[in-house]
Amino acid sequence: MSVLLLQLAGPLQSWGATSRFARRSTEAAPTKSGVIGLLAAALGRERTEDISDLAALRFGVRVDQPGTLLRDFHTAHHFVTGEAAPVSERFYVADAVFVAGVEGEDALVETLRQALAAPVFLPYLGRRSCPPSRPIFLNIEKNAGLIEALQREPWHAARWHQRRRRDERSVELELLIEAEAEDGPVDSLRDQPVSFDPLNRRYRLRGVHRPPRASVINPAARPVHDPFTALGSA
Amino acid sequence: MTRTILEVHALQTVPPSCLNRDDTGTPKTAVYGGVRRARVSSQSWKRATRQGFHDLLDPSELGVRTRRVAELLAERIRKLDGSIEQGDAWTLAAETIQTATGSKIEVPKRQSGRNGEGGGSAAPESKYLMFLSAHQLDGLAEMAVKAHGSGNKDYFKDKAVKDQAKRIANARHSVDIALFGRMIADATDINVDAAAQVAHAISVHRVDNESDYYTAVDDYKEREDDDQGAGMIGTVEFNSATLYRYAAVDVDLLRRNLGKGLREDEPLTEPVRRAVEAFIQSFLTSLPTGKINTFGNHTLPDAVVVKLRDSRPISLVAAFEEPCQADPETGGHTRQAAEALVSYLTEVEAGYGVGHGDPAWVLRVGRNTEALTRVGAGLPLPDLIAAVGAEVARRQDEA
Repeated sequence: MSVLLLQLAGPLQSWGATSRFARRSTEAAPTKSGVIGLLAAALGRERTEDISDLAALRFGVRVDQPGTLLRDFHTAHHFVTGEAAPVSERFYVADAVFVAGVEGEDALVETLRQALAAPVFLPYLGRRSCPPSRPIFLNIEKNAGLIEALQREPWHAARWHQRRRRDERSVELELLIEAEAEDGPVDSLRDQPVSFDPLNRRYRLRGVHRPPRASVINPAARPVHDPFTALGSA
Repeated sequence: MTRTILEVHALQTVPPSCLNRDDTGTPKTAVYGGVRRARVSSQSWKRATRQGFHDLLDPSELGVRTRRVAELLAERIRKLDGSIEQGDAWTLAAETIQTATGSKIEVPKRQSGRNGEGGGSAAPESKYLMFLSAHQLDGLAEMAVKAHGSGNKDYFKDKAVKDQAKRIANARHSVDIALFGRMIADATDINVDAAAQVAHAISVHRVDNESDYYTAVDDYKEREDDDQGAGMIGTVEFNSATLYRYAAVDVDLLRRNLGKGLREDEPLTEPVRRAVEAFIQSFLTSLPTGKINTFGNHTLPDAVVVKLRDSRPISLVAAFEEPCQADPETGGHTRQAAEALVSYLTEVEAGYGVGHGDPAWVLRVGRNTEALTRVGAGLPLPDLIAAVGAEVARRQDEA
């Protein structure tokens, strides 16, 4: 087994799990269906194709830079009369950085790495108008499980964000991991993809487990202020 | 096979303006790099780009996105057979579209009350905006006339007819449908995946929205004993910005969406070349029309980089994650933005080992964009477009 680590960063991202019709909300972090969709698109799978191999990957996310919620108001107009059609609201996560991991067989993970280097369908962060601002592929961890890999990965927040927390030498980051039976009662999210077929789009509930936060080093931390070092050792 | 992905990057400065506003009239914004930026949504600029096509392409190569699709089709039906009354043509059109798309075409409830008020009955409409190409509408009109001529009330119930209607609605896509996609909720199998990806434009610097208080004078209030106050007062919100604009086109998907193209007498690469050229021209020169007569913000991009890649597109928005600062002496963001764009492009390509030898073209205006000469020699827009178009056609030939 190995873990493929992905970096999801951009001015805007949108990861819907429940939305329909005129109000298109986003979760605060990438959904499994969104990330599996991105990987399936990179491989060039059509929406009607089987995705069970990808859906079986174990999924986890680390929140490196949470970003802010953005509400966008969207109208459409009649081509001829200019009359407004019903308005819709779309929500985005602005200015966020996430590290996502998928754990699976070595060969599949390697295939996914190659697909991300030359994706068949162009990747986007949950919505087509949200292109990534950094390369998505980060790393492959061969000798670690999903949680461990997410804990080990250096902090990918933007420099300004790291500086804002410069009083913290290490920073605690939230982890959202696909739950396993022994995790007990957990939150659930309807984002376990079963089929992306537009005629039969289906998602199952997925347990989301929050293990202890990952602790990462803040490279922008202020050096420790110790006036006694200036005096020399006694 | 040569994979072809087109990238368009542009820096465009707009003076006080309100290109794209939210439901409170405030120009749209987003936080990026920890600071607030001006934002113009992708939907807004895509529509402007689509409108721009009308000056560049023949109507037969374009589509119409409307809920009044039945009226549009009825016009074509009546052109083919003038003996069909308007009311009958509407019904016939509604039935044909319903067969092709599975979507209910009905007289909207708010309209149906108007029946018999002298103005005749209202036309049926679809429940959402429907995007059909001129060729698809022509094909459906022919089918409708055939149905009418057959005198058979159950004409559209036939399985073969149903399949044919669907085929007509799913072949010969127009340039705008091939680029921007189509979503028909009731018949997802005839949806079209967009070949173009347009990002929200954001400013390269911090922006605070400003508010303009205005008074309007009543021209006729001239006598001294009249009330001396303003005729009306109000506020308009605006900002000014140097925007980073980015779009990518999957040229291979565009080719698949367009199919063999709309004309018999041209080489197979021609529809793709024409669509790519129209996209670059219209994306770069169009502008959302929001409050344009209030602000007169008719500008063009100062700096443009177009690239063709063979693996994946790269947005350069991260070049501006750290916001540009206006020079305290001279002001302006363009110089710093152009330098940031070019150095980020160079570094990201070197760092990830991509882009060596990928063709790039540059269009630049003014001294502040000199940094772009490191990417390529500047070309005027028509030459740039022709060069990109020729290279796209060459690569399609190879593919």
